[in-house]
Amino acid sequence: MPIFDQGYQHWSGQLSGRAWRWLAVTRQGIRGGLKNRFLRYVLFAAWVPALALVLMLCMWGLLERRSSLASTFMQYMAVLQPGLVTDPQHYRADIWRLSYGYFLQIELRFSMVLILLVGPNLISQDLRFNALPLYFSRPLRRIDYFLGKLGVILAFLGMVVIVPSIVAYILGLMFSLDITIIRDTFGILLASVAYGLILTFSAGMLILALSALSRSSRYVALCWVGIWLVSGIVATVLQAVDSQQRRYDYYNKITVARPNGRDANRLPPAERDKQWRAYRQARQRATEEYRVAELGFSAHDWRPLTSYTANLSRLGQQLLRTDETWKKLSLLDPDQEARDQLLATYMGPQYPWYWSAAVLAGLFGLSACVLNLSVKSLDRLK
Amino acid sequence: MCSQPFGEISGPAEVTPIVALHEVSKWYGNVIGLNKLTIRIPAGVTGLLGPNGAGKSTLLQLATGQLYPSQGTVHVLGQSVWNNPSLNRRIGLCPEQDAFYEWMTGWDFVYTSARLAGLSRADARDATGRTVEDVGMTRHKGRAIRGYSKGMRQRIKMAQALVHGPQVLFLDEPMAGTDPVARRALMDIIQRLGSEGKSVVVSSHVLHEVQSLTPNIILLNRGRLLAEGQVRQIRDLIDKHPHHIVLVCDGSRKLASRLVGWEDVEGIRMLPGGKALMVETRSPDAFYGRLPQLSLEDGTEIKEVYSDDDNLEAVFKYLVNK
Amino acid sequence: MNSAPALAQNEPSSPGRAGRGLNLSAFWTLYAFSLRQHRHGKRWIIMAALMLLPAGLALLVRNTAHNVPPVAMEFIFCFMLIPQALLPLVALIYASGIIQDEQEDQTITYLLIRPIPKWAIYTMKLLATLTVAVGLTVVFTSLTYAVIYWGADTHGQNILLRCLKASAIHATAVVAYCCLFGLMSLMAKRILIVGILYIAIFEGLFANLAFGIRLLTVIYYTRLIAYRTLPFIVSTPFGTQDFAAEAWQLDVRTDPKLLEHPQFATCVIVLSVGSLVLTILAAFLCSKREFYVKTAEKA
Repeated sequence: MPIFDQGYQHWSGQLSGRAWRWLAVTRQGIRGGLKNRFLRYVLFAAWVPALALVLMLCMWGLLERRSSLASTFMQYMAVLQPGLVTDPQHYRADIWRLSYGYFLQIELRFSMVLILLVGPNLISQDLRFNALPLYFSRPLRRIDYFLGKLGVILAFLGMVVIVPSIVAYILGLMFSLDITIIRDTFGILLASVAYGLILTFSAGMLILALSALSRSSRYVALCWVGIWLVSGIVATVLQAVDSQQRRYDYYNKITVARPNGRDANRLPPAERDKQWRAYRQARQRATEEYRVAELGFSAHDWRPLTSYTANLSRLGQQLLRTDETWKKLSLLDPDQEARDQLLATYMGPQYPWYWSAAVLAGLFGLSACVLNLSVKSLDRLK
Repeated sequence: MCSQPFGEISGPAEVTPIVALHEVSKWYGNVIGLNKLTIRIPAGVTGLLGPNGAGKSTLLQLATGQLYPSQGTVHVLGQSVWNNPSLNRRIGLCPEQDAFYEWMTGWDFVYTSARLAGLSRADARDATGRTVEDVGMTRHKGRAIRGYSKGMRQRIKMAQALVHGPQVLFLDEPMAGTDPVARRALMDIIQRLGSEGKSVVVSSHVLHEVQSLTPNIILLNRGRLLAEGQVRQIRDLIDKHPHHIVLVCDGSRKLASRLVGWEDVEGIRMLPGGKALMVETRSPDAFYGRLPQLSLEDGTEIKEVYSDDDNLEAVFKYLVNK
Repeated sequence: MNSAPALAQNEPSSPGRAGRGLNLSAFWTLYAFSLRQHRHGKRWIIMAALMLLPAGLALLVRNTAHNVPPVAMEFIFCFMLIPQALLPLVALIYASGIIQDEQEDQTITYLLIRPIPKWAIYTMKLLATLTVAVGLTVVFTSLTYAVIYWGADTHGQNILLRCLKASAIHATAVVAYCCLFGLMSLMAKRILIVGILYIAIFEGLFANLAFGIRLLTVIYYTRLIAYRTLPFIVSTPFGTQDFAAEAWQLDVRTDPKLLEHPQFATCVIVLSVGSLVLTILAAFLCSKREFYVKTAEKA
């Protein structure tokens, strides 16, 4: 009868390939991240807009088939815009685009919160507790380490952006039962997945770079809040100051005098009312001219580039072609003024999308440099 | 007083303890750090021993007022330690964690510690100079701590604990991570402190190091007191396990045949090589007393006599594994 | 049992040591040491970069937009951006680390084993934090004013006086925020999330509601002090416009002297006394707390 050695057993199986070594780092990061109860709550909350997207796409599919299940929805849409209900198939792609557009806008905010919860610890904790030698004493290259950490971001953002987009698409297809829907909407799916990947790689590299700069995850998180929120505030302030100044320029061109308080009170009431009416009409015209001109001005307005999330939104807007959708939907309204107002309200920034792409690419490159300089391999670790 | 199964150890009557814990328990959520611990640490150098997780650090943190006991009382120098900052003038702690204000120089760190202890500028300068010299760090005092080796860091940590001239010193694993040279230097410092009349409690899980510092030990395991007193006395009380005494001689078999007839000899084992034998006996003192006579009668030259379990490691193994 | 002589319990203190009373020289040493810690950390560089934002934006606006009244810029950058976004963030970054940084670095042990009461450890470190935060605030507020008004038409206003008033208002606000976040850092483990939620919801949302809840916010009192001490009247194509009243939803039409709102002295007292009360509470909490460094923390 053989007696077996109870001591340490060497691994005699096959080692995984070099290409998949980063996956071990990712798995460990995901496991660690999911232990955070708050993160789980945020993930759960982030799926609510996905449910709304699914509901919208499914309802539109039922609407196209004139199903009785969508009767309330049909009535609501008929009140909102009757033209949509008369030929829903013609506007199918547009409604899908807008639904995905709003979904991705909301998920962008959730993504920022998720990165705030998961991202700061990724490299800063390894620096704090001197875990880098533990990683690099294994047959793990720096690129595997970075890919592994980026994989954690990809996993969490994928859970709230990419996976819900795909699932909503499939469910939308199933509720439509029309094969032509794939031809009309497949581009939207590709666009949303591409947007999700751009968001992941851009934001992921940025948070990894920030995390590599400090051993305290608290300061990394605050830097992230600065990039996310403060950059948005900066862009808003710059835009507000500039647009207000342009508005005043238009108002200064009003030739009709504003009735002065004391002088106006001396006038007979009818005359006073007449003067006020003339002034208000002139102001209204100036306001409309300003609004129409704003769309044209926004084609050259660089100020939104200072906001990180605005750059991501601009790319999303370009990928989904939501502006074309709004232009098409505006044609449903016969009134030119109403059309202009709709476009002014709903169309996003008009500056060239490649400006935002350049900003994001620049940040990506900078992040890569920071990572390269901050995280050294074993032979160069202090 | 030892834990119950071993009975009491006799000693000089009522020496005032430096540290007195009475029925102290400390738990962290569901984890028990210390479990109904009652000990009185006397003056002098005392070793606090136990494996990882035994509760040594918890005990030291309780004794220095960093933690509050969940149950029981902790007194140092007759005073309660919790929220008693004035007592900290008479206490020094060399913590286990390798944490410093890395940007400070060694001198700066010790000087600031002296000033925080309430010394005036001039006193702090003098005390810092003396202490830095005592720990052998004069040459490196102007360098930032981030550039220090592990041994230097331990020594500067010791210096901050000594600079204000405390009466009682708590050292939490002072030799951890140090090389043999640095370890020797630290042990010399501790022995000198003991000989100067300071009370030192040294916590460690390295048994032979503590044994070379002091015979007075406290053994902890899983938050409970295992034994307290001198190594030899504790060993004597472990009557379940006979002492092992090794005799090295040429005629070991002949000697063995004689020893088998002694009533207090419980067992004899021939060691590999045939030049030595190991005797098991419950009465080591009596055995040692009769051994020279046997050698003379028999003519057997006994080259070496030693006990391989009259040491801390053996004591600890017996106690932990019982 | 041992050969060392038994020591008496109460050995008299050796000469040169402080008595049993408050050890003021140790307090001063801790305060000075904490200031040095701030200087050596990289944190102040990040804070300075953050506080440079209003000045940088003002420079950008002056060079890109034309005819923007300096008072409008002053209002937007110095009384919207700074007190609403930057001061709370600066306070959160600094005050949240008063004790937590020492605990994370495991250096708090060196302070706890000194003859300094825990409440004094907290108070001295808070004082050092306030010194740095107020210093940064005053410097960068002044810089922002310099950028806004350099070479601009001041319309006869005393810009130096406005700058001094603004600096004092910001200093009062940052002190209040630091005391508040210092207390929160002792109560909440995830002070960052709690702090950001507080800034966004309490100071960002509740302060703008015309309900009693805004009496609990720092920004409300800050705005009132600013409104009562500095006019923000700008000429627009619609006539003169009171920027502050519009932006802060102060109903100056029905209540031009804002009699329904606390007066200047009340606001100052509330902020000062509030800061003091928060500090005392935090110091008390600190004195009762245990700080886990090496051993397991409570669940």
